[in-house]
Amino acid sequence: MVHGVGEALLARARAAGCVSIAVIGTSKNAGKSVVTAELCEALRRAQVPFGLCSIGRDGEATDAIDRAPKPRFYLRSGALIATAATLLPRSPALEIVGHTGETSALGPIVLGAVRAPGYFEIAGPPQADALRRVARLLGARTPFVLIDGAVDRIAALRDGSDANVVAVGAAGAPAIGRALDDVAALVGRLGLQPADPEREAVRVAGALGAVAAAEFARAGERRQIVVRDGTRLTFGGRTFLELAARLDLRCERRLRPIACTVAPSGGGRFFEPLTFARAVAQRTGLPTYDVYAQTLAEAGAA
Amino acid sequence: MCTLKRWPRPAPREHAAVSAPANAPWTAGAAEAIGVNWLLGAIAPHGMLGRRARTRERAFRRGDEAAARRQLAGVERVARERDAAWLEASRARLAALTDPLEPLARARSGGVLSDSDLFELSSFAEALTEAGIQSLLASSEHTFVPALATELQRLLAPGRTSAGGFYLDDAFDEELARARVQSARCEAAYDAARSHLAQRVAHYAGVEHVREGEFVLLRERVVGPLPAEIRVLREAPTYLLCELALDEDSQAALAAREDALERVAEREEAVRLRLSLAIAEMGPVLEAACNALGELELHIARALFAQRYGCVVPEVLEASSARFEAARCLPLAETLERHGRAYTPISLELTGMGIVTGPNMGGKTAALRTLGFLTACVALGVPVPADSAALPLVDEIAWLGGANETPQDGLLSSFGAEIVELRELLSHRAGRALLLIDEFARTTSPREGRALLVALLECLSERDAFGLAATHLAGLSREARVAHYAIGGRGVLASRGATPLPLETALARIAQEMDYRLVQLPEGAAPASDALALADALGLDTALVARAREIL
Repeated sequence: MVHGVGEALLARARAAGCVSIAVIGTSKNAGKSVVTAELCEALRRAQVPFGLCSIGRDGEATDAIDRAPKPRFYLRSGALIATAATLLPRSPALEIVGHTGETSALGPIVLGAVRAPGYFEIAGPPQADALRRVARLLGARTPFVLIDGAVDRIAALRDGSDANVVAVGAAGAPAIGRALDDVAALVGRLGLQPADPEREAVRVAGALGAVAAAEFARAGERRQIVVRDGTRLTFGGRTFLELAARLDLRCERRLRPIACTVAPSGGGRFFEPLTFARAVAQRTGLPTYDVYAQTLAEAGAA
Repeated sequence: MCTLKRWPRPAPREHAAVSAPANAPWTAGAAEAIGVNWLLGAIAPHGMLGRRARTRERAFRRGDEAAARRQLAGVERVARERDAAWLEASRARLAALTDPLEPLARARSGGVLSDSDLFELSSFAEALTEAGIQSLLASSEHTFVPALATELQRLLAPGRTSAGGFYLDDAFDEELARARVQSARCEAAYDAARSHLAQRVAHYAGVEHVREGEFVLLRERVVGPLPAEIRVLREAPTYLLCELALDEDSQAALAAREDALERVAEREEAVRLRLSLAIAEMGPVLEAACNALGELELHIARALFAQRYGCVVPEVLEASSARFEAARCLPLAETLERHGRAYTPISLELTGMGIVTGPNMGGKTAALRTLGFLTACVALGVPVPADSAALPLVDEIAWLGGANETPQDGLLSSFGAEIVELRELLSHRAGRALLLIDEFARTTSPREGRALLVALLECLSERDAFGLAATHLAGLSREARVAHYAIGGRGVLASRGATPLPLETALARIAQEMDYRLVQLPEGAAPASDALALADALGLDTALVARAREIL
């Protein structure tokens, strides 16, 4: 039993010196928005005003692509959201605080302060730089910022100082083994170790793709291969795991994956909750939470 | 005619390309050659309202002389009366204004404005009542705008928050205030009822909180029968997927909350509707205010231009002639400045067509560009960079030859392309035209090229055109009965010696020896030429140049 998954994640973020959390997922329906909603509730219970934004569109009642039901965010006074003006609910009315100067696929993004409880949809900019600017705007007005991530948009974590929570769910993988590979690869990318200045290194400017990385591996490259941070690796899943085993991949700037979360059901598949959470913790080495069951699994624990 | 005070020039910069008025008189080729895009960029608005105003602008053409004079005089007055700091600050204020025309259009077409729209409008109203804008408006003819701003501000004032935001505040509507109070009560009642149930479930499940929506209950935690507050959605071997089962009290509280929320939504929409109708009523005046503010920004941009470049208001002629003293083609002057060279201002007095002759690299094309640039300034209602000027409004500005040669994918030779272009020009031209002809027919046989140019000048003279033709061909002015202008000429270029000079040094030396002024020659004067001296200065093999001199 844990004293609230949201509270636990916030405590881990703060312990890492972070005042923002970005939730990212290994696939669609990995439970990102469920985790974000849990964090919103935890901040509300702690009476901490917070800002909420999203990479692209999220929080809609049904998924924009597959129409599966998705949670909107139920927010109360104290929340500041950045979303497309076109998605603002007619009721309850928000206080429009200002423009962000950024645009989403649904139009200009505004800042709105929640005055009365209600359901809100969040749509942020799809570009990494724009998201960082929006997050900074929210951070300037609130003590804590939440970023509801998107699949394969880890580029948006670039240059951020957020704590990263990685969500993995049954919906995104045909079998538990595949889900474990995916989450291990994503955590591995985010958690690249810093380069050792005493050792020889090949520094890669910009992104490192699978073709170039495979070329290094084929050539038997033994030096460190250094990218700016894990977001510059453009390959994930088994490709990453195999190449990372053959190469000494390093970074200049570490990101901060602090925990994983599991969504044991979704897409018609059900993984046994405790087994799934324990396996994720074992593969990633990170504490792994199940928001639905309110459980915690840690690496090495039985 | 009034010379404006000069203002320190900013560092040369590239101006962004800006769309030209729909009725612009220049052809695409002329626009490129005479620097119209540079000019449009230099007077481009920075704000949304200014940009909208720019799209409505029309260029002045023949027949618009009175309007052009009014505008030029207005720009001159602002530039004379205000210093650059005031103008820059005013322009920045206008550029920062939000654009309320989109929400206004929605309101006028019967739409109910969103809170985001109302935020835009309240921000707009507040900006208009700011002291700087008020002072700017007071000095303009748009005296109706402050009253409108006050009315709009008063309408939306209850929603303006201390942080500069907008909220559909209780102060807009007493019923809304009451509905919100009731909604808050119902929310609290439901929270309490649900919380009571959730606590019992949390205690049973051994967790701190039970989340809203679905939750998982691990079978290892299930002891005895499930409490009535838990509804099982799905059973699995090791867990149950559940949700909270609301009891009667909670359901009643939930229903009350939904009703209260609906009432709030109704009242909020009613307030929006009332505000939207009021704004729609203000629509025509509000739109006029937006237009006026946009035009004001354009006006200030022109005044800043006039100050920055020491411009004068030209006399607007109603004939096919032009005269100016110490005029500058600004884009060319900036290019030269970037290369450490100075532009020599040009003076000209021209009626109908004229020819310009002079040595290579002496500034014949620059003379054409200057005449075109000044004419474009007048067409846009912009004072001209000269000590004095008198120019007409034209229906067309065309450029033929030189920089405008565009062989069509190799299907046409340079000469062929010139002829096709000329055919086009002559076929559609009507009204008063400025023709700028840069070494027309220079790529065909000199004898036939000369004959063509004479015939063309005669034809253009008959058509009330005016302009200049740059050429190296002799005897044209007498034959075509047009005025002959020549570049002042080059002093003697001393031999550079055996070693060629670096190109930049050679160009500086050539420029130093050059008198770029334009002078009118008597009839029959032969054009100056110093191609061999120039070839030597530019580093061509000395033996080759010497042999060429022998042949001459």
